[in-house]
Amino acid sequence: MIEIQEVHKSFGSLKVLKGIDLTVEKGEVVCLIGASGSGKSTLLLCINALESINSGKIIVDGIDVHAPQTNQDQLRRKLGIIFQQFNAFPHLTAQQNVALAPRKVLKTPTKYAQALAQEHLAKVGLGDKLDRYPAQLSGGQQQRLAIARALAMEPDYLLLDEVTSALDPELVGEVLDTLRMLAEDGMTMIAVTHEIPFAREVADRVAFFHQGVIHEIGPAKELINNPQQQRTKEFLGNIL
Amino acid sequence: MFEYTFQWRVVWKHWPQLLEAGLLTLQLTILSIIIGLVIASVLAVFRDSSNPFAKYLSVTWVALARNTPALLQIYMAYFGLGAFGIHLSPYTAVLGAVAFNNAGYLAEILRGGFSTVPASQKFAARGLGLTATQSYIYITLPQVLQAVFLPIVNQVIWAMLATSLGMIIGLQELTGMTTFLQSQTFRPFEFYFVAACMYLVIAKIATMLAQIVAAHMFKGGADK
Amino acid sequence: MTYTFTTNDFLLMVQGAGITFLLTIIAGVIGTFMGFLVGWARTTKNAVFYYSLGAYVDIIRSIPLIIQFVLFNSFMAIAGYPMDPFISGIITLSIYISGYVAEVVKAGIESVPDVTRKAARGLGMTYYQDFFYVVVPIGMRTVFPSWTGLMLGLMKDTSLIAVLGATPPELLRSSQIIINRIQEPLMILLGAGAFYFIMCYVITHFAGRYEKIWQQKRQAAL
Repeated sequence: MIEIQEVHKSFGSLKVLKGIDLTVEKGEVVCLIGASGSGKSTLLLCINALESINSGKIIVDGIDVHAPQTNQDQLRRKLGIIFQQFNAFPHLTAQQNVALAPRKVLKTPTKYAQALAQEHLAKVGLGDKLDRYPAQLSGGQQQRLAIARALAMEPDYLLLDEVTSALDPELVGEVLDTLRMLAEDGMTMIAVTHEIPFAREVADRVAFFHQGVIHEIGPAKELINNPQQQRTKEFLGNIL
Repeated sequence: MFEYTFQWRVVWKHWPQLLEAGLLTLQLTILSIIIGLVIASVLAVFRDSSNPFAKYLSVTWVALARNTPALLQIYMAYFGLGAFGIHLSPYTAVLGAVAFNNAGYLAEILRGGFSTVPASQKFAARGLGLTATQSYIYITLPQVLQAVFLPIVNQVIWAMLATSLGMIIGLQELTGMTTFLQSQTFRPFEFYFVAACMYLVIAKIATMLAQIVAAHMFKGGADK
Repeated sequence: MTYTFTTNDFLLMVQGAGITFLLTIIAGVIGTFMGFLVGWARTTKNAVFYYSLGAYVDIIRSIPLIIQFVLFNSFMAIAGYPMDPFISGIITLSIYISGYVAEVVKAGIESVPDVTRKAARGLGMTYYQDFFYVVVPIGMRTVFPSWTGLMLGLMKDTSLIAVLGATPPELLRSSQIIINRIQEPLMILLGAGAFYFIMCYVITHFAGRYEKIWQQKRQAAL
């Protein structure tokens, strides 16, 4: 379970998060929507301790993420994160990209890590691209590689930061299909996305961010089909 | 035109001396690059240091090394340091000056190399649970090495060319030895021609070795 | 008996700096022109040009300037055309720098995306119109900083030709003359270093300003 309590975060004088409260249960898929700069992506980085917070608390499975005694490296193993820019490691093959973290972080023997990498790459449909380098893969394939890389750490949660925004339209579908499959498998996910139809179909709940706060939150279909707040209506009206 | 008869036999007779001088050139080149790289690593770190003295030292070193002629730097080491009672041999003066020069250029190459690795790569590595050190060793460093490899090879060639300035202060590296031998035999063209070929061969071998190494080490190519 | 640094010595150094500057400009202009032709010829699809000029560039960049200079001189002498060392100095410097300029020009031309060139040809431009109105303006801006670096390198390398006694005393040679007389190498070398430093700084500064103007123009156009 991820519990976010009264989280504030600013960059210098710019207040990005102004008191966020959100609880995500195991097995739940929550999509965060809202205009750029509303703080959605920053929240993901804070959950993963890649950014610090100014006040409030984020608790993952009972562990306070930002407490000084917390081993954040250890904690991040539970929380896979995938970015808008695929961030594949350009100097490693697909298989090496996926096997690296299990080998170095979990100390999995190389042979097992390679088998693990093959398994996860096959899962995202890249079973025949093991020895390709990122530069030899399309954007959609690189993003699926990033998903396989996160999955190989067998995380309990996936944080997805606009994972389809940098893709050409015809490549979005293959990545969304992969995510759909993960949701069906019961993976807990928090996804920042602009793909409203995807959110409506896959998410359990949707949270609408506006100016650093959650302006409206509710069951996915309800919120998208029938938003209560004026701002939410405007945003959805513009994007759909 | 061309009533001149080339005489290559005289060059052949002195071949052992030329070869030895060529090895000295090679030795100076390699040593000056190793020393230069060590200093450059320190300078590159100092450059972004919060300690004003370290930062100032780095900026000054790089600016002096890059904005004055290598020959002036050699003169400084050989003649100039005499004012402080430091009297260097031609060998030490050339090695020191070329290493000083290399350090300035290599520091900038290293800095450029680090700037080619986007911060997001570190984020991605840390997001997978790698520690800061692991992320540096397995993700940042290999990419930096790839980015700086060819510029460093160019610097090696450049260092080799710069050691020829040793001739001017009487060091018998390849150019100095050639100058000495042609003055004994009055066959400048033949001697300098052979020396030119030797430089070319050394440079070619170095470049080819570098290409082989690069082909094996850097298979990923640039991230596009 | 002690000698001191006189006003005349200072003037000799200023004059030397002027000669350094002059040599750089002459060899820089000739060398850039030659290098432009070589670099451009290597980007045409002609294999003969590509490999023969590739060898030219390779050879120039692998042999020390001193050797190129004495080799050129002795070759002209045995060919029966002994040359004034000042002229041969400028020729060697020009050829030398042209090898480096050629690589920079080639990189500049290749930096222009193929689609841009196709777009130009698609508008009905001829090869040369595309080359001069599209490729050269775009590509040369890309490599301008590298070219400036080459010219600074050339300025520092003029010192070699003069030390071999080939030209009127430029900065380093005139410093050497003064050192021989007053035996104060450290001070004079520091002075010469300061001259070089200032000249490099001025060139870098103007190059930087030129680039800024380009950028502002581009931003204004957007």
